[in-house]
Amino acid sequence: MAVWYLIIANPVLNVLVALTHILGGSFGWAIIALTVIVRLLSWPLTKRQLNSTKAMQEMQPKIQELQKKYGKNQQKLQQEMMKLYKEAGINPLGCIWPMLVQLPIWIALYQAIMSALATTPESLLGLAQRLYSWDIVNQAIPLSSKFLWLDLGQPDPYFILAIIVGGTMWVQQKMTTAPTVDPRQQSTSRMMTVLMPLMFGFLTLMFPSGLALYWAVSNIIGIVTQYFVTGGWGYLKLRSPSQ
Amino acid sequence: MATTLFTSYKMKKAKILLLIVIVVLPLTLVSCSPWGSQSAGGWAGTAIHDGIIYAGTKDGRVVAINSSTENLEWAYSIAPVTAPSGGLSCGQTSVPTAIFSTPVVDRDIVYIGTYSGQVLALNMLARSQNLTFPQRGDGEWEWNCPDNAKSKAIVADLLVSADSIYVCSSNGRVYSLDKGSGDENWRQENIPLLSEKLWTSPVIQGNTLYVSTYDGHVYALSVETGVSIVNGIPDWIFESEAGFASSPMIYEDTIFVGSFDRYLYAVNVTIGSDEPMWKFPREKPADNWFWASPVINEGIVYAGCLDGTVYAIEAKTGEKLWEFDAGDPIVTSPVLMDNLLIVINESGTVYVFDLDAELGGEAAPLKTISIGADVRSSFCAQESLVYIRGEDNWIYAVDIDAGGVIWKIDLNIEE
Repeated sequence: MAVWYLIIANPVLNVLVALTHILGGSFGWAIIALTVIVRLLSWPLTKRQLNSTKAMQEMQPKIQELQKKYGKNQQKLQQEMMKLYKEAGINPLGCIWPMLVQLPIWIALYQAIMSALATTPESLLGLAQRLYSWDIVNQAIPLSSKFLWLDLGQPDPYFILAIIVGGTMWVQQKMTTAPTVDPRQQSTSRMMTVLMPLMFGFLTLMFPSGLALYWAVSNIIGIVTQYFVTGGWGYLKLRSPSQ
Repeated sequence: MATTLFTSYKMKKAKILLLIVIVVLPLTLVSCSPWGSQSAGGWAGTAIHDGIIYAGTKDGRVVAINSSTENLEWAYSIAPVTAPSGGLSCGQTSVPTAIFSTPVVDRDIVYIGTYSGQVLALNMLARSQNLTFPQRGDGEWEWNCPDNAKSKAIVADLLVSADSIYVCSSNGRVYSLDKGSGDENWRQENIPLLSEKLWTSPVIQGNTLYVSTYDGHVYALSVETGVSIVNGIPDWIFESEAGFASSPMIYEDTIFVGSFDRYLYAVNVTIGSDEPMWKFPREKPADNWFWASPVINEGIVYAGCLDGTVYAIEAKTGEKLWEFDAGDPIVTSPVLMDNLLIVINESGTVYVFDLDAELGGEAAPLKTISIGADVRSSFCAQESLVYIRGEDNWIYAVDIDAGGVIWKIDLNIEE
């Protein structure tokens, strides 16, 4: 646990507090700035994922051909698809890594928000032990939790963030999920594109809105970069093979 | 063929794994969150009056313990509060209220503030007879903080004067209550919103109440009306770049208060200058906040810092006279007893300094005693005995002369 705080949790907390001071005491803008920093740091992974997405989009005619050809023989279809991916140098698991890399950041950010806002006397005292002895950090304390209509230490009572988080995640999922004719794969794809946004929308109702703000901004950055790197709305605009 | 199937299997497995992680993540976060487990707590300290020790416990009780017999004279359970059940449950559960404010004793009444936003006046006799609360004929009352903000919790110690009690609330306002009835003395419209929250205690000098805030202001309010003495509107008499972490202490028109920028400030309340008289340390800030209020004796300020150092500072000049490294953070204010200065660090080591001795440069304590429990609560001392409530919810009686703990009482057991 001490290693977790030393390597991830405390650096995230201190950067967040320092950003708050730099950005005129706005904790909300600090979260947005931190999101941009995290997205920049994970750019190499994101770029690989986007390139894979783009390559897979370009391969769609070939994949659809394979699906038509081997639709009834799943083993053969998988074998041929993997062969195709391998030839194109695509890792179908590539899309998962940027998300997994962000998991520790989410946990650290959640802890940082709760610590930095110090909603209880114990958490304010605990904060003293986690802050670096930088003037920029200590001068920012205590932080204000107010940002726009939000109290960043509490869930959004108006559900606006939940809709934004769910909606942006759905768009992002739709942009990257390839259509398929295989009914089993269709159900898996549907589960991923519908369940994930619903789940994150639900989580937004439970967690401090500071964390949800991170998710929303992260999704928006994801959509924008995806749009420019892959050159459009990807699978969001493509017709499904059955159509 | 096998490789292809394996890769396909890996893909599905990865997606399932990702979904599991996303489901497990909130459960983990919520279970670690303040909403995850509702328990009482707080760091209410000890007070002594006529040989009886009064303390707030971590399970929401006020207890009175006879220091001679070590018996529990009485205990009063404060009404529990409803809180979310925790985890993913949407239900409510009843939990004891936390107590951060140390009891204050005045004649036969014990006053206490609670995290649920109440101030209670408990009559010692009525409580020892376990009568229904409140016995108004015996001077008992309860006051509920008006809920005009997201929190009304009372964290700071109460300030008791001859006729009134002054209460700082988490809603950012100070209230003046009549000691006998609990009625509010100030008109509602006069009670200024001073800060987002007030977790520090006020101090009083003459007819003025001084309040320091987490956003770095010192306010001066009329004790009669609650109105700012500056120009009638909520206005501060001193502003600092960083917020004030500790409750202020006042001595001869000077307020001494610790700040989040790791300095201790001395502010003259009469000259109305934007500059402090001095801030300590002079060269560079300390390694952490001055969280505990300092104490003063014969023109020397004694301040404990969360970096684990105790400082003795000349009150007029801010010059350091001596320092001592206590090893662990000092969360609670030092206590003066005759010619002795008693300091306790967070890990429960009691340091006793003889103020009559020459303590130049690096001071050495007269006695060092460990109670074996963490300490965050304020403590009291009388006749060479120090009474401490540990974070383990025990009360320890430390005999300074004997150099050890002479008795301890477990407050976790309800009698």
